[in-house]
Amino acid sequence: MPETKDSDLNYVYDINQIIECQQNRYPVLLIDRIISIKPGSEAVGLKCFTYNEWFFPAHFADDPNVPGFVQVESLVQTFIMTFLSLDKYKGMKTNFVSINNIKFKRKIIPGDQLIINAKLNSLRRGLATGNAIGKIEGETACYAEFIVSIPEELEKYKPKFKK
Amino acid sequence: MTNLNKYDESFLKIFAIDNSQLSELKYQSIESWDSVGHMALIAELEDSFNIEMDIDDIIEFSDYHKGKEILKKYEVEIN
Repeated sequence: MPETKDSDLNYVYDINQIIECQQNRYPVLLIDRIISIKPGSEAVGLKCFTYNEWFFPAHFADDPNVPGFVQVESLVQTFIMTFLSLDKYKGMKTNFVSINNIKFKRKIIPGDQLIINAKLNSLRRGLATGNAIGKIEGETACYAEFIVSIPEELEKYKPKFKK
Repeated sequence: MTNLNKYDESFLKIFAIDNSQLSELKYQSIESWDSVGHMALIAELEDSFNIEMDIDDIIEFSDYHKGKEILKKYEVEIN
């Protein structure tokens, strides 16, 4: 049985601090804690799945496991913390621009703790690129690469010209 | 590769269009040149010509021809 280390329980942002940074809310706020963070660079998030999650009874009744779209949301919500933790962007809304190279490597079931490592590769004029990998007990569960926009920031650079 | 080639290649790469569409190209004249596409184009041009554009120039960059004028400010001649 894997040992739980004290370091697993430490965190830098609790749920209220996450809510200050991003606008996702129940039932689509899908990270619980930020374990460590370097604003503008990387973040490590934690999502604990229990059978009380709204999607388990429906996916599936006889084999509850975390739907792929939920995993992607957990990944991207950790990813956006890499820049929404910066004062300049705190609390802004974000939109998906693209999701690439999505991989689902193992089933996530009630009781699993997903640890997500997210990296910001670039953030330029409201467009953020990077990736996130989710692991359970050290084993890769899911991965994706993202381009995410910050519409409020993007708006500043739109040409005045209209067709 | 000439500056014109590099300039054209940036549009072709980002918007996935044909050469024949370039001269009439304007912001929002094709689906892919939206606000996100605009940022991708500017980033591509900045990387291609090793420049960093001012916000006013990014906003003024509203069509294929206007872009050539704007790049002159950065000592990039597109002929």
